[in-house]
Amino acid sequence: MEKIHKPKKVFVQGPISPDFVSKSIASHQSKTNIGAHAIFLGQIRADKKETGVVSGIEYTAYEEMAEQAFHEIREAAFAKFELSCMHIYHSLGIVPTGEISLFVFVSSPHRRAAFEASEYIVEEIKANVPIFGKELVGEGGEFVWKENT
Amino acid sequence: MSLHVMYYGMLAEITGLAEEVWVADAQLTVGGFRNQILEKYPAMREKKFKIAVNQKISEDFAPIDTQSEIALLPPFAGG
Repeated sequence: MEKIHKPKKVFVQGPISPDFVSKSIASHQSKTNIGAHAIFLGQIRADKKETGVVSGIEYTAYEEMAEQAFHEIREAAFAKFELSCMHIYHSLGIVPTGEISLFVFVSSPHRRAAFEASEYIVEEIKANVPIFGKELVGEGGEFVWKENT
Repeated sequence: MSLHVMYYGMLAEITGLAEEVWVADAQLTVGGFRNQILEKYPAMREKKFKIAVNQKISEDFAPIDTQSEIALLPPFAGG
């Protein structure tokens, strides 16, 4: 029988700290069937807009639908790739430029599955999870709505 | 019937609301609802959005049942 994975909470308020990432790595050292971790970190870019430079992104989401979409992405990734473990964290609220807003962490006995699964998961998130981003520009409270391509 | 309608991102700016109760005739389709929305909020004609009914993105031919939760979703920007 297929293993049922419990839905996990994905959203965190504000940026994802490097300390949180390193603690997540450390907590997997007891799982000795793992041979490869792949980590994807999404970081806020200081894009240039007509009225100034992006100072951060404010994320909102249709949270219930988004949590369900994350759950479906996790289930699909477990079905598709040989994975031991998978964690997804995404920010809500304001994340300043240079800080981390997405942390995808997959673990597998072998490298190939880890590489492929992390790319698959990130692309699925960008296409299918109802998260909205306001790029904050300059000091005057101006903004531009972000759109994934 | 009455529907619970929610607006996200730039669409909430256009409506000035996060959500509202929408009173409609029975036998409404997603396409029919879209037409009503564009009539009430003409500025939405300029915007791309998808309509989720009970948290599923729905095509225009899909029927809407009473007490459905409807969300208007602008382009996604996660990641």
